[in-house]
Amino acid sequence: MLAYIFKRILYMVPTLVLISILVFTLIELPPGDYFETYVNALLESGEKIDQQQLEFLRQEYGFDLPPYQRYFKWAGGLLQGDLGYSFEYQLPVSEVIGDRLLLTMIVTFFTILFTWIIAFPIGIYSATHQYSWGDYGLTFLGLLGLATPNFLLALVLLYLAKEWFGTTIGGLYDPEFIGQPMSWAKFVSVLEHLWIPVIVIGTSGTAGMIRRVRANLLDELRKPYVTTARAKGVPEFRALMKYPFRMSLNFFIADIGGILPQVISGAELVAIVLSLQTTGPLLVTALQSQDMYLAGSFLMLLAFLTVIGVLISDIALAILDPRIRLAGGVSR
Amino acid sequence: MEDGQGILLEVDDLNVSFAIQGGRVEAVRGVSFTVRKGSVLALVGESGSGKSVIAQSILRILPRNGSIDSGRILFHDVSAPDGTVDIATLTERDPYLYQMRGGRISMVFQEPMTALSPLYTIGNQVEEALRLHHRQDAQLARAETVEILRLVGFPDPQKGYERFPFELSGGLRQRAVIAMALICNPALVIADEPTTALDVTVQAQILGLMKELQKKFHTSILLITHDLGVVANMADEVVVAYHGKVMEAGPVETIFRHPEHPYLKALMAAVPHFEMKPGERLVSLREMGNENAGDLAQIASRFQARRPLTDGKPHLEVKNLTKEFVVRKGSFFKAGESSRVLAVDDVSFAIRPGECLGLVGESGCGKTTISKMIMRALTASSGEVWMNSASGMIDVLKLHGPQLLDFRRKVQMIFQDPFSSLNPRMTVHNILEEPFIIHGIGNKQERKRDIIDLMTMVGLDPRFLNRYPHSFSGGQRQRIGIARALALHPELLICDEPVSALDVSVQAQILNLLNDLRSELGLTSLFISHNLAVVNYVAERIAVMCRGQLVEMAPREVLFANPVHPYTKALLASVPYPDLDRLLDFENIQFSGADDVSHWGKAFLPSEGSRLAGIEVEKGHFILANNNADMRELV
Repeated sequence: MLAYIFKRILYMVPTLVLISILVFTLIELPPGDYFETYVNALLESGEKIDQQQLEFLRQEYGFDLPPYQRYFKWAGGLLQGDLGYSFEYQLPVSEVIGDRLLLTMIVTFFTILFTWIIAFPIGIYSATHQYSWGDYGLTFLGLLGLATPNFLLALVLLYLAKEWFGTTIGGLYDPEFIGQPMSWAKFVSVLEHLWIPVIVIGTSGTAGMIRRVRANLLDELRKPYVTTARAKGVPEFRALMKYPFRMSLNFFIADIGGILPQVISGAELVAIVLSLQTTGPLLVTALQSQDMYLAGSFLMLLAFLTVIGVLISDIALAILDPRIRLAGGVSR
Repeated sequence: MEDGQGILLEVDDLNVSFAIQGGRVEAVRGVSFTVRKGSVLALVGESGSGKSVIAQSILRILPRNGSIDSGRILFHDVSAPDGTVDIATLTERDPYLYQMRGGRISMVFQEPMTALSPLYTIGNQVEEALRLHHRQDAQLARAETVEILRLVGFPDPQKGYERFPFELSGGLRQRAVIAMALICNPALVIADEPTTALDVTVQAQILGLMKELQKKFHTSILLITHDLGVVANMADEVVVAYHGKVMEAGPVETIFRHPEHPYLKALMAAVPHFEMKPGERLVSLREMGNENAGDLAQIASRFQARRPLTDGKPHLEVKNLTKEFVVRKGSFFKAGESSRVLAVDDVSFAIRPGECLGLVGESGCGKTTISKMIMRALTASSGEVWMNSASGMIDVLKLHGPQLLDFRRKVQMIFQDPFSSLNPRMTVHNILEEPFIIHGIGNKQERKRDIIDLMTMVGLDPRFLNRYPHSFSGGQRQRIGIARALALHPELLICDEPVSALDVSVQAQILNLLNDLRSELGLTSLFISHNLAVVNYVAERIAVMCRGQLVEMAPREVLFANPVHPYTKALLASVPYPDLDRLLDFENIQFSGADDVSHWGKAFLPSEGSRLAGIEVEKGHFILANNNADMRELV
């Protein structure tokens, strides 16, 4: 097991190197750099620029160097855990992201939990009551959730929350907590605001999830080993959980690889509509203003989490399914 | 009503139907029979006779769209309240139902591959029944499970307990399913085609095991099967079902010695057996409507295979053919050491022009691998295949490019599964036209004429051409497969288990059709099957394979009259005959399987300084034996 994990981690190195080159190239592709964008913005608003300071910064961050040297400088920094410096925020990237990372994780964690709590029971019900009114009704509701544009739902829920509960519009906590360190009161405020983004982001995912749980479970329900279990006298619900349901979990575990990066990036557009202080909007503005260290390091973080997620789901699959764990292979 | 003494289960005027789109289908119509305590009742019928539905009704595990409309299923058992319970009237959630299932009535299924969940160990799944019905602590339950695994013949039951189903052979899996059915010591075991998916030698072992355990535990068995050979060997009483109705019922003696009902008589005539005289035809249950011998001969003249010159050379010659697979052993997490497996080990044979060579062996012996190498679907590790084609000698394994494409016309294949070997999205016309298109033969009219002739030749109405495969029965689909194989006027036809997925009566039709076509078209063919009786019916010479090696080859009559190799002998001894005077000798069936070399004589095993070679014991009769062996040791 350890040897396998070690081997897989070794494979990750070339993957990450390739991704870093790709990310760097993509960010470099648009003409100019952050400073040009910055200068233009200042000129437009009629402000003066300290050319000397600008040149100093350019040199300091190596913008006068050829691209490949800058790449190595950046990548070398990443290796030492230095994510670089955000020009826009005038702060190290780790500090810019770190603040929002926690909130993003909270939002996403609850979103995933919401999706599972809703989707699994409904999916199981739909599969075991295939073509019944309940199946059709729940499927209809799920599709409705999938079809409603997220931003629309977000606006509606914001309005209702304000009307009914007096929750402040936008953000993940009351304005009074902005810039304050995490405290119990702030956490409670976060929970108060949390349910809107969770429902908004969750509904679209839930519908897809219900369909997948249903389809996978239906496939398994027809398998003869389910009949074997029934013929053995296993009570229906226990038989359902022990045999077909566990079998249908495979697809779901394989999904973990995709979930981890999601946890960090959040749903960008919804976050902007709801003006959430998560990382999603951060990435969007960073890309717009060519704040290259912020954008690049953030994308690398996502790539890293994706690779780790895939590794975790592979290991989990092997633990869950003895066929993957024990069966050998044949080469032709 | 009888007083129930000695009677365990009474099925009385049972009617079961299924809801399908636009109505209901009656699957079981007024079936009645009784199962006595400690006896074996065989329920015989073809697919669609409702025999499995009856079993599912008894356990109340019908699919959701099925329901018992009327009738009684009386179960006389000590576990039942008042000693008797009508299973048909129990509600879905009745606690007695759950107590009965697995506890008093248990089931053995057809497919040991899929009847067990791959996610749990054998021990877990077998023990589950025990722990559900007899609350026991874990240690006791485990000990009892290991004991029953030992009883059903697990070589190392402690280890077997920890194994996952996919790590075991089909035979061992079926033993595990039997262990699961017996562990609670039920009054009745329903065995639904328990040996159909197994090899013939394994089948004999499993049947022997079931008989032995049935005597030991005094259990009743309801044996559901389509195989009259199995019935003759196992049953005390027989019920013959057809289209959801009971055709005939009685003690096994009466059924086999004095069959009354025409259906039963026809069923018995449709099974190929070893005493058939040369040229004797199987009588199929339902003749196809438009089988017209005169027509066939006339049409067939256009499709006759181009024969090579009769220069005495074989049509197809396989020399020292070997195929090696590399198997990665070990697990997901460990770096697996790879081992080499010889799937086909130095096999040589020849087929004369117009001859049908039967290739027999159990699953995994390499017979299909050989056919794939001849077809050039797999690359051989070494060896040669020569074809004496009408256009000259062909070195088959060295062909490439256009020559290979041209060669594909000369060899065609008929597949085992008529359901998955036809593309469901193509009409029959498209399916039959495709070979012509691939090889660029003829224009639209010519193809159309050929396709209509092909349909007539295989006994199908040309008006069916615009239908899709799903609207045909298994037998009709296999006819389409045959027509497709014949479309390109092949010289060599490879039939890979063409009838093993079909019912007995349909099997007879297809075998007759293949025989007719072969003689009309003068085809050379290689017929692969695990069923010795079928091979006996169609082949002129038979080659027996075991573990990748060809162990014996002889003309048909010689092989059946005078088998020499221990493997061939074991194979022949395992075939259940539908004949009460030739029952299987369960006492002498090897528990470890026919390919266990420890039972073979010294002469058939390689020894130091010598190797195995094909030895001709009489004219045309070859066996694989030690080349130092004394002739007397062999015969």
